[in-house]
Amino acid sequence: MADLDLVEFAVDYARKKGATYAEARFEHQRNEEFILKNSVLDALYITEDSGLGVRVLAKGGLGFAATNAMTKTDVRVIVDDAVRIAKAARRKDPIVFAPEDPIVMEWSVPQKKKLSDVPVEEKIEEILHIDRELADLKLKILARFFQQANRQIDKYFVNSEGSKIRSFSPRVRLDYFLTVMHYGNAEQSHQSYGRSGGWEAVREIDMLRRTLDEAKSMQNALAHGKKSPEGKMDLVAGPMVAGIASHESCGHPTEADRVLGREASQAGKSFITPTSIGQKVGSPVVNVVDDPTMEHAIAFYVTDDEGVKARRRYLYKDGMINEFLQNRETAAVLGTQSNGASRAVTYNVEAIVRMANTFVEPKDWGTDEMLEDVKYGVYMKSFMEWNIDDKRYNGKYVGREAYLIEEGEVTTPVRNTVVELTTPAFWGAVDAVGKDFELFHSGYCGKSDPSQALDAALGGPTIRLRNVYLR
Amino acid sequence: MEDYAERIVDKALKLGCQDAVADVIGNRSYQIRFAQNQVVISNQWRETSASVFLVYNKRVIASEIKDLTKLDAAVENLVKIAKASRENPDYAGLAEGPFKYDRLTVDKRIVDLMDGSDFVEAAIHGATAEGAKECAGSFWKYDEEHSLRTSNGVKGYDHRASLYLSIRALMSLESSGHGVACATRMSQFDPEKAGHKAGKIAALAKDPVGGEAGTYDIVFDPLILGSLIDQIGGRSSAYIVMAGLSPFAKKIGKLVASKIVTITDDGSADSMGRQRFDAEGVPTKKKFIVRNGVLKTYLHNTSTAKKFKAKTTANAGLIAPWPHALSCKPGNWTRDEIFEECRDGLWLTNTWYTRYQSYVTGDFSTIPRDGIFRIKDGEIVGVWKDIRLTDNLLHVWKSIVGLSKTVDQVNWWGEVSVPTFAPYALARKIRITRSAE
Repeated sequence: MADLDLVEFAVDYARKKGATYAEARFEHQRNEEFILKNSVLDALYITEDSGLGVRVLAKGGLGFAATNAMTKTDVRVIVDDAVRIAKAARRKDPIVFAPEDPIVMEWSVPQKKKLSDVPVEEKIEEILHIDRELADLKLKILARFFQQANRQIDKYFVNSEGSKIRSFSPRVRLDYFLTVMHYGNAEQSHQSYGRSGGWEAVREIDMLRRTLDEAKSMQNALAHGKKSPEGKMDLVAGPMVAGIASHESCGHPTEADRVLGREASQAGKSFITPTSIGQKVGSPVVNVVDDPTMEHAIAFYVTDDEGVKARRRYLYKDGMINEFLQNRETAAVLGTQSNGASRAVTYNVEAIVRMANTFVEPKDWGTDEMLEDVKYGVYMKSFMEWNIDDKRYNGKYVGREAYLIEEGEVTTPVRNTVVELTTPAFWGAVDAVGKDFELFHSGYCGKSDPSQALDAALGGPTIRLRNVYLR
Repeated sequence: MEDYAERIVDKALKLGCQDAVADVIGNRSYQIRFAQNQVVISNQWRETSASVFLVYNKRVIASEIKDLTKLDAAVENLVKIAKASRENPDYAGLAEGPFKYDRLTVDKRIVDLMDGSDFVEAAIHGATAEGAKECAGSFWKYDEEHSLRTSNGVKGYDHRASLYLSIRALMSLESSGHGVACATRMSQFDPEKAGHKAGKIAALAKDPVGGEAGTYDIVFDPLILGSLIDQIGGRSSAYIVMAGLSPFAKKIGKLVASKIVTITDDGSADSMGRQRFDAEGVPTKKKFIVRNGVLKTYLHNTSTAKKFKAKTTANAGLIAPWPHALSCKPGNWTRDEIFEECRDGLWLTNTWYTRYQSYVTGDFSTIPRDGIFRIKDGEIVGVWKDIRLTDNLLHVWKSIVGLSKTVDQVNWWGEVSVPTFAPYALARKIRITRSAE
């Protein structure tokens, strides 16, 4: 680790140079990626990413500068840069941050089996044995792509208001991409799982079972799948589908920076405006939550990258728009407090408003109960293609594993069921929320410029939508 | 920087590696982000790091070394990890150097630029002059020096500097336009023009109504065609083909686009993507990915080339081959002729969130954003919103019937990941869908 006194020096020096507020974030990230393509271990990608990012407010402008050279001279240079470019902003209305009490603390995610203690051979074997078991299924698998990634993130955050926070987050990810063929037809699947914690997370994710089940369901869809029916019918959506819809059409549109137009040119704006709080967006049974404090979810944290304590946020509550994701800048504009949603992917980019672990809050329905009430519909357990417009109003999720529901029974697999609905149409149709819950799916959420692909968990229970148009 | 690169390669060879590559990169890039017609943050980077690729008995390891004060320890650690790894039977070595490179063509005025505020103001002025109320975007000064050494005798130096501005102009949430400016010469950089384009589209896109699903002729603006060209460039990487992430498997020599379509990759040409050499040090060059509609080559490094019994196309990345700078050959239609020939269709100006249901077949959808215009008999007769282009990549490219004589250099967040020269294009019978309410 570098000389952490330099982090405090950066903040003090920035104040001396005229910054009205300054913060410095040192990060040291140890990353490992093991890439297995068609049974060949293509490469190991091993990095130690470390450096310092400094953000300042000066003359109402915001400046950020970063270096990986941890010497006093280099730190001085980037502080000078940050103050100079902040002052050059010439803003009509100065940027201010909502007030926060300083925090001095240390936090870390416990590891039962430390990532640093697990030999490289064992990490490689984790994907090799899945690949072997997959081959033993004797399916025609045209392409197999596995990635096992481990990240250990040490941070030290200091700001000019007295916050000093040290943290440690170990994270484990397992991704796969499969292409199964059957008489010239292909079915493809991409899944991404992740947890915060030590090597025990690999067992919790249970990738072997998941991958084998997926390959079998792909073969089943190819061999027996029918064209998905078209028309208005019921949809029972599994945790993975509920999770992606929560992320895309609840989490993103409630990001306050998006609502205020700061991301308009890239990730876009939002159908939600600053005055939308309290407006109906779904049925009364819908609660969608973003919660960084979910222990061992991939985006777990105690304090965000502005030094604000994290807490659970009810984005949609009882079907109403309830709360935005805020950082200190957006909170000041909207006359409220930050709710600890500010994160950066590495030391060398500014922290911005981000989701963490986003999901539908579970209720009390069993999946069987939901299914038995459906005369005709589709049970969609997972998806492949998905997208949504930049105001987060028109979403599309295309089924990967899906089945017909007839008179309450799950029957034939159906292929490529298309759910293409507006956000209120999707959430307004939900009449039942399950008691099952899963939060293993982990996306790389993209936002900002330069783009920051950040760990985000998405999940929830099974949900049922009544009388929606499918094709 | 050369010293660092030299040291990494020497150390790796001393530790028993057969192949080693070190690309020491000095990044001095600078950026201004703006929104609501004001600067929201300015960013400056001062970083020097090493991209490293080592091979120990066919065990491949790649890394970024950030702490250059501990180079020796970092290389020792990488070699130790490589020894514990497994052989990669597909690894076939590095290109044999040394090579000669084209002369450097960096514009010193770009390198020396300290303040880009005037460019941001010019872009916003251009957009607001057309009636835009709200502008957001980014100005970039890209400035990177590369010092490359390989164990096969490569010694390369490159300085890559360019200017870029992206602006989205809005009249309202649903009336917007986008423009970009790309240049490797300060004298060619025209952010105000990008602002005017964004503002004009935003003003034209007033009061959109929900579109209707169906099959339409489509006029693709260069920015959205750039996204479709990007799909061809990225999915022609041999690595992506092997991973099952491309519709181009077993399609070399086959028709994958209309016969009027020719797409090249050329890192040696003057563009924002210009680079003198690839990650193995091979001098960049022009190659036809698609020529007259036929898929001519995948993009290769030395290892993928051997696997496909081909030659490297000078597209090596650290692990996978990638395009550097794409170009769609202009056609012989004027822009006006493109629109005149659009009898019952749409003019799409931008898109985002391109995703596939099947990479093997190329079935995908993408969501047009910013101005979406209904065209009948060459005239704009309406403004739409809330539609999705849901089709097949090969079908879209085979449906192109006209390309404009002029091209624009485009590059855009996520969608046009590689600097690309794109014309206007007209395609027939493209499928449009929309959400149910």
